[in-house]
Amino acid sequence: MNHRILSLLSVMALAGSAAAEVAYEFVPNFITPPPGKETIGNGHGEIAVDSAGNIYVSVQEADAGIQVYGKDGKFIKALSLPPSLHGFVIRKDNGGEFIFAAVLGEQKVIKCDLEGKVLMTIPTSEFPADKIGKGLKLTNCDVAPNGDIYVVDGYGQSHIFVFSREGKFKAVFGGPGEPLKLANAHKIFIDRRFEPSRVMICDRGHKRMLHTHLDGTFISEIATEMRNPSSASFHGDLMCVAEIAGNVSVWDKDNKRIADLGTSPKPTNTPGIEPKDWQQGVVTSPHGITFDNDGNILETEWNKWGRVLKWNVKK
Amino acid sequence: MTNSEFPNDESPMQRAICSFVIRISAFVILAPAAAFGHGAEFLSAKLTLLPDAEVLLEVTADYGGNPLIADELVAREALIDPIRLRLDENLVPLAGLSAASITQHDNWAEFAPASYLPSDTEAQPHTLITAAWRWRSEEPEIVFEMPKGKLHDVLLWTRDQTNSEAPPKWMLLLAGDRSKAIAVHWPPWWQRWQTVMASSVFVLVLGYFVSRNFTLRQRTL
Repeated sequence: MNHRILSLLSVMALAGSAAAEVAYEFVPNFITPPPGKETIGNGHGEIAVDSAGNIYVSVQEADAGIQVYGKDGKFIKALSLPPSLHGFVIRKDNGGEFIFAAVLGEQKVIKCDLEGKVLMTIPTSEFPADKIGKGLKLTNCDVAPNGDIYVVDGYGQSHIFVFSREGKFKAVFGGPGEPLKLANAHKIFIDRRFEPSRVMICDRGHKRMLHTHLDGTFISEIATEMRNPSSASFHGDLMCVAEIAGNVSVWDKDNKRIADLGTSPKPTNTPGIEPKDWQQGVVTSPHGITFDNDGNILETEWNKWGRVLKWNVKK
Repeated sequence: MTNSEFPNDESPMQRAICSFVIRISAFVILAPAAAFGHGAEFLSAKLTLLPDAEVLLEVTADYGGNPLIADELVAREALIDPIRLRLDENLVPLAGLSAASITQHDNWAEFAPASYLPSDTEAQPHTLITAAWRWRSEEPEIVFEMPKGKLHDVLLWTRDQTNSEAPPKWMLLLAGDRSKAIAVHWPPWWQRWQTVMASSVFVLVLGYFVSRNFTLRQRTL
């Protein structure tokens, strides 16, 4: 009996240390820009991976708001979408796989298929008028297991709006007041590592991440004193975070930081760092991030020329 | 709307005016929606090192493009105590060094290094407030520090006055960060001792004349 307990403890310790020892290696020059371009183009958006492993990156290009790359980083095509897809996710919902995107420049949310065909729009008029303020500045959205769509006004008042799968307004929480007191809630994500799922908020102004229940009630702070968390992604029990002031971090489910990648020697937060000043494996201003289906990390930057970096998980 | 209200026989001038009004209206309605660029999410602190250990620090807040600064009132609050000077173990608020002079303007280019100018907001009217503090440093090097808990990051930057072509040096300070030591234009020792030496000479000369007059008066008595 004692041996069994000891064996069990050993296995648990090994599993724990395996999780703690997760390591990544930088993949130089992973992305091949579209033909005729030196770089991918003005980046101020997000990156995501579909179930087939294709990589989607939003850029501020007219009528080509998302570029699609293969697993190997080679350009495949551009989707005819708006140029201000500041935040988007790819989620399976109701038997299909869709892009849900916050269109910052047009104060609306769109749902489209993976070819870029818009299937649904949540227009400004669907948002409660008393929360619009001087105008919505929508920065991201995500989808809960029940199909509800969560949208954040991250460059506005940091309110988080909840809509039904059909795009009908249901609720609002967050904002600058009590109890969450958000400031530049840059992006939000539905954290499905937990049951029930939680809302993970990148409260960038306060340099912290926090969890709430799906109804918006506060659970806990995940971390504070970060380099301005901007975006996140989940894979298994792990979460990776793009910190715009110059860092990519990886966290476990117990909110323990287990890796830092590409850390800039000094904090930064600008789109103006030119390609000639880029250093291999060192981030400038991380703005969007995703795990691929194998647990590798892809990060896109706030950068006028556009930049994507990749770290492969060491097996 | 009926044809009688807008007859088809408008003059070219009427049509031109109508078209102009429609275009202006469309611009006014659509301009805010098009302004989706990323503002400056920091206070820009331009540091100018002047002769004789004088320091000019101009801190600028943008309440047109910074999501953390909603309006002018918040901008002014942010500029009350944006960063502190470290003196030994103390963090001295800028207000303890000199009174601030406040100006409002829309000239970002003068108050942020080129690589840090807000992107995609060139067409937006920036609404900037700059608070300037000027003081004489008592130390040859100065260090700035951001107290923990500060909401607004500060981009501290300086331009080499002797080489206008050189790119500005900058450091982004987050809450709890401390800047590198920055050397001020510390005057040479003989300049610093000039006043003391001049005073000493004056005292010596005065002493000489007093003693001489006193002696002469004693002799005449």
